[in-house]
Amino acid sequence: MPASTGQCLYVATSLSDAVAALADRGPAGAPLAGATWIMRAPIRREERRSSYVGIGGIAELCAVELTDDEIRIGACVTHARLIAALAGAEGCDGLVAAAGGAANPAVRQMATVGGNLCASDFPASDLSPALLCLDASVELRTPGGRERMPVGRLLDVRCTLEPGTLVTGVVIARKSLRTGHARLPLRKAGDYPVAIVSMAAALGSDGLVEDIKVAVGSVEASARRWPQLEEQLLGRPLDPARAHELAKAGAGVFAGRESVEAPGWYRVQVLPTLVRRAAQAALAG
Amino acid sequence: MPTNLVINGEDRISSRGSMTPLIDVLRDEFFLTGAKVACREGICGACTVHLDGRPVVSCLVPLGTVEGRDVRTVESLAVAGEPSPLQLIMEEHDVVQCGMCFPGILMVLTSFFQERPHAERDEIKAALVGNICRCTGYERLVDAAVALARRS
Amino acid sequence: MATADPSGVVMNLPRRDARDKLLGRTRYTVDRMPPRMLHAAVLRSEVASARIIRIDTTRARQMPGVRAIALAEDAPGMHGIGIADHPLFASGVIRFHGEQIAAVAADTYEQAQAAARAIEVELEPLPPVLTMADALAPGAPLVHPDWKSYEILFEGGARGGNVAWEATVIRGDTDTAFARDDVVIVESCFRVGRQNHVSLEARAVIATYEDGRYHIETSTQVPWTVRNMTAKLLGVPASQVHVTVPPVGGAFGQKFDCTLEPYAAILARKSGQPVRLVYSRQEEMLTCLCRENADIKIRSAVTEKGEIVGREAVVLMDCGAYGGEQIFLTTMTAHTLGGNYKLGSIKLATRAIYTNTPPNGAFRACNGVYNTFALERHTDEICEAIGMDPLEFKRRNVLGDGDLGATGQVFEGDVLGSMLDRMERLREKSPSKKHLAGDRLYGRATVVGTWFIFVGPSTATINLNADGSATLITAGVELGQGTMVQALPQIVAHELGIHPDDIIVRNADTDAAGFDLGVGGGRTTVSVGAASVAAAADVRNKILNIASELLQTRPERLVLRNGRVEIAGIEGSGTTIAKVVQRAHQVTGPVVGSGSFTNPGVPAMPGCAAGHFIDAIDIPVFNVHDCEVAVDPETGHVEILSYKVVQDVGRALNPRAIHGQIQGGVTQGLGYALHEEHTIGEDGCIRQDSLETYRVPLALDTVPVEIDLYEGAPSIGPLGAKGAGEVPIMNPPAAVACAVARATGCRVQQTPLTPPRVLAHLLGREPAVELPHIADNWWDNVLTKPKTQ
Ligand SMILES: Cc1cc2nc3c(=O)[nH]c(=O)nc-3n(C[C@H](O)[C@H](O)[C@H](O)COP(=O)(O)OP(=O)(O)OC[C@H]3O[C@@H](n4cnc5c(N)ncnc54)[C@H](O)[C@@H]3O)c2cc1C
Repeated sequence: MPASTGQCLYVATSLSDAVAALADRGPAGAPLAGATWIMRAPIRREERRSSYVGIGGIAELCAVELTDDEIRIGACVTHARLIAALAGAEGCDGLVAAAGGAANPAVRQMATVGGNLCASDFPASDLSPALLCLDASVELRTPGGRERMPVGRLLDVRCTLEPGTLVTGVVIARKSLRTGHARLPLRKAGDYPVAIVSMAAALGSDGLVEDIKVAVGSVEASARRWPQLEEQLLGRPLDPARAHELAKAGAGVFAGRESVEAPGWYRVQVLPTLVRRAAQAALAG
Repeated sequence: MPTNLVINGEDRISSRGSMTPLIDVLRDEFFLTGAKVACREGICGACTVHLDGRPVVSCLVPLGTVEGRDVRTVESLAVAGEPSPLQLIMEEHDVVQCGMCFPGILMVLTSFFQERPHAERDEIKAALVGNICRCTGYERLVDAAVALARRS
Repeated sequence: MATADPSGVVMNLPRRDARDKLLGRTRYTVDRMPPRMLHAAVLRSEVASARIIRIDTTRARQMPGVRAIALAEDAPGMHGIGIADHPLFASGVIRFHGEQIAAVAADTYEQAQAAARAIEVELEPLPPVLTMADALAPGAPLVHPDWKSYEILFEGGARGGNVAWEATVIRGDTDTAFARDDVVIVESCFRVGRQNHVSLEARAVIATYEDGRYHIETSTQVPWTVRNMTAKLLGVPASQVHVTVPPVGGAFGQKFDCTLEPYAAILARKSGQPVRLVYSRQEEMLTCLCRENADIKIRSAVTEKGEIVGREAVVLMDCGAYGGEQIFLTTMTAHTLGGNYKLGSIKLATRAIYTNTPPNGAFRACNGVYNTFALERHTDEICEAIGMDPLEFKRRNVLGDGDLGATGQVFEGDVLGSMLDRMERLREKSPSKKHLAGDRLYGRATVVGTWFIFVGPSTATINLNADGSATLITAGVELGQGTMVQALPQIVAHELGIHPDDIIVRNADTDAAGFDLGVGGGRTTVSVGAASVAAAADVRNKILNIASELLQTRPERLVLRNGRVEIAGIEGSGTTIAKVVQRAHQVTGPVVGSGSFTNPGVPAMPGCAAGHFIDAIDIPVFNVHDCEVAVDPETGHVEILSYKVVQDVGRALNPRAIHGQIQGGVTQGLGYALHEEHTIGEDGCIRQDSLETYRVPLALDTVPVEIDLYEGAPSIGPLGAKGAGEVPIMNPPAAVACAVARATGCRVQQTPLTPPRVLAHLLGREPAVELPHIADNWWDNVLTKPKTQ
């Protein structure tokens, strides 16, 4: 099913060029970053836009900057680049595991952070829960100017973004965190995870959980946090076995989505195990 | 608008539409049929080529994004008709069956070994997670790759 | 002539096609693009069952680039196996989601697709039957209301309504056996889904029409079938169709039928240009001729000592909208489900059932894979019921020398029994991997399997060239299995005393080679090999007669060795074969030999089998597989810890190549055991439409298979060989299912054992497979009526 050649692509040379080109095209246009989602539209039986603005080559969108206070990830940073830039950085193990476990080596060279967050109707994104539990924000350029919003909000509104909106980057505040990302593909690897648990915990010097964020991906239509579990984990040591038990008791707050590859009940059923694995990974990191 | 690109070291100009997948340009316009179309969804890896030295699935690369960039296909691995060490070791191990997946596997492993020349078996297997081989059951081609890693 | 030592044929000959395949130079059908080539696209139905009211191509014909449109009226014929029930295009009615309605050729593929979409089709929807249970329900709509009027191509199968074909085996008196008071009766039900071949090269063809003949260049296993079927569908003499086959990029049975070739042929004739048709992966997923889904019920009467005194089974095979291979494959149950074990009495019914779903086809070890799964799981359930160790049970019951098979054929040699011993030694040699299971559940199973080699007609011609090389001409095809580049040149070289590298192997061409049944059923090494041996013998005789004159030695004292005709026992004596051929050019003309082979025929017990295409098997092939698994009790993931194979190969001509086939076949079988499944939605469309949802094994999902080749079992194959490529896929689902059942204590009745299914089992939420559409009384399941005593 080769692509129909009717659509056209304008390759933007700078951020302002991209913003202008998107504004020009209005609802007929959309950004194209790594293209790994857009190029598969025919297989999903989706119509493609008539016009795309290529943003993958814009240098200012491809940088990862680490300062003492924050990590800024350009929207067009690929999974491979993200792994290389953040390997070993404190608090980033979960995010690196998320990027490194996703897809396959060739797709990781192409697929971008921005594309992963903005692909609508994509429940199985690995980066979404990893960034959710890091309390990350996204920066956007809209026809009206600049905007910043939490990742969770972007996931809610990504289908209804105003035409011409561009995510320019992701910002993570640097904190001393232990993070873990547990994904469950049906084979050993190579397929979308049927469920994901990402966890980021701040532990006090006494080893007690001072702050913790748990995010669940792929189980429902969009990734989301698990506030009930977070609350129960506060103020105690991070014990994977206990986290597992609590998750077992509380997983009913999720309504698993049905799909060809897995029934909804299964996605919910495996959550406690993934909570335990994420906690173990966080402690090991 | 025509697209300029460098394919296997030669300057080329393609007149196809900018959203045309690179794989179709390579095969249908330049008759480089080594890379194969098998799934068009980035899963089987048979269309893998190197773009600026990194492996990509060319079925998902729109032509417009490769303007001015360097593309290498399986046809470039042999130098002056002499197979690369990876190709030779695959041949020595009698790995090939139908052969459709090998162009992609060779491109993935070639760049993988540039970064991890002494990789272990498990890493090699993990690196192949984007390549489907339906004939061989993988192990022998992994054996060959391991042998190359040991040799280097 | 002194015969050469057969062990001389054995070698790990490398593949001559490996280098170019690695360099990316091999040109498969999908890589070929003749000048002026057009691209074809097929318009397919998006409903499962409907009456066609109107098809209007007016708008489509005016679309840019369109050169030709093919419709039902261009292909008046019907094809099929056993029954001609299948038109090329849906005519009058739509019978499955994805059925071909029209085909368009245009300058580009996009134009062809656009024009196909622009064809207007008006349909009146009809209620579809999507499952075999629906199809067998009283009053079910008939998929083929006119079934009675179809041409019968093979006599003997019972048919009726949605039962496309029925094959039965009756040997002995099961009623008496089941009524005995010293037996335990064990009943099991099984269900399996469809498996897609996922050949990386999709089905593909390029057709041209020149000098009043069609030339079809295609990715097929069966050049002669394509020739004959295309002619039948188009209503032209078969001599007008010429088929050639470039290297094939994987097939596994999918390309054992004529499918897309006739569309391209019609369009080439209409447009006067070459036409290429290549199915997209989505078309391959949605209309692949899959391994069929099946429902199986088995009942056995077994004594406390483990003697199987009676067995009754019903196997329902979903053939989809058209009979196709499944008609033929009903034959196989007798030899797979009816295989392995000694049975006092038996009744088997195998029925191919029409449904409004995409037609199924042949897939490596057709029918055998799931019937072996069912048989081995049933065997475990028997052992549980009588409290016997399954290995002990197998030792007592596997077929041995002089034992009767299901259809009453007499088996030769104690093969399976000694293969079980060999497996025991293999198990002793390599320690259990149980420790790798950790906290997970551990299980292990050893299973057996019976398969066979399809024989049937093949022919070969050999030209012995004046340079001492030989050209082998057959209709065999290289799919990747290696026969054409390894086994055949080895066999011919051995017969002619030259090196395999000096054997030129002609690619299949129906204008050059004579009839052949095709590459499948593990038959190439055997049938094409036997024909090649006969051709080589013919050549050898001619050479020896001429050499005898030249060397003044009786032919009986001459041998062919190292490219020479030598006097037996005197190395370096005589002369070169090349010189003898040159001499022949002067006295008799060029040296050419030909040979043929067909079905030698092994008798079954008269009256046992009805509706079978093969009553008894000429070359049985046995298998013993052993597998260790770990099951994650929290997620249901099954990990294969170790896998071992003892395979009956007759004589291993190229052990390294056989090992490659076993590793590949086992991995494909593990895919079917654990992940691969097509299911059908309420709209009749296959739900897994891409490689994202249809999950084949990747490198991390397999393990190195430990292999022991069992040689020496009787075989009529050349030099005692048997086909080795087909059978390795047969046992993995059985081995894995038995191991998982033991690990979990759950009653595994269904494959694949995906993580959700296994977890459902462990949580007690997996519904039992009950099969109410298979009646308890065996006779209520068959059209065949009991013979009145
Ligand atoms: C074989 C395969 C396996 C995969 N496996 C996984 C996996 O395991 N886990 C996982 O998470 N993902 C997986 N993916 C999905 C992949 O990660 C996403 O396709 C990818 O991240 C999307 O990024 P992209 O840059 O390619 O997006 P594109 O295809 O370029 O764009 C996707 C969407 O986002 C929009 N968009 C892109 N960038 C921006 C921006 N900066 N601002 C606003 N909108 C934007 C586009 O308009 C489009 O609608 C897989 C993909 C493939 C092909």
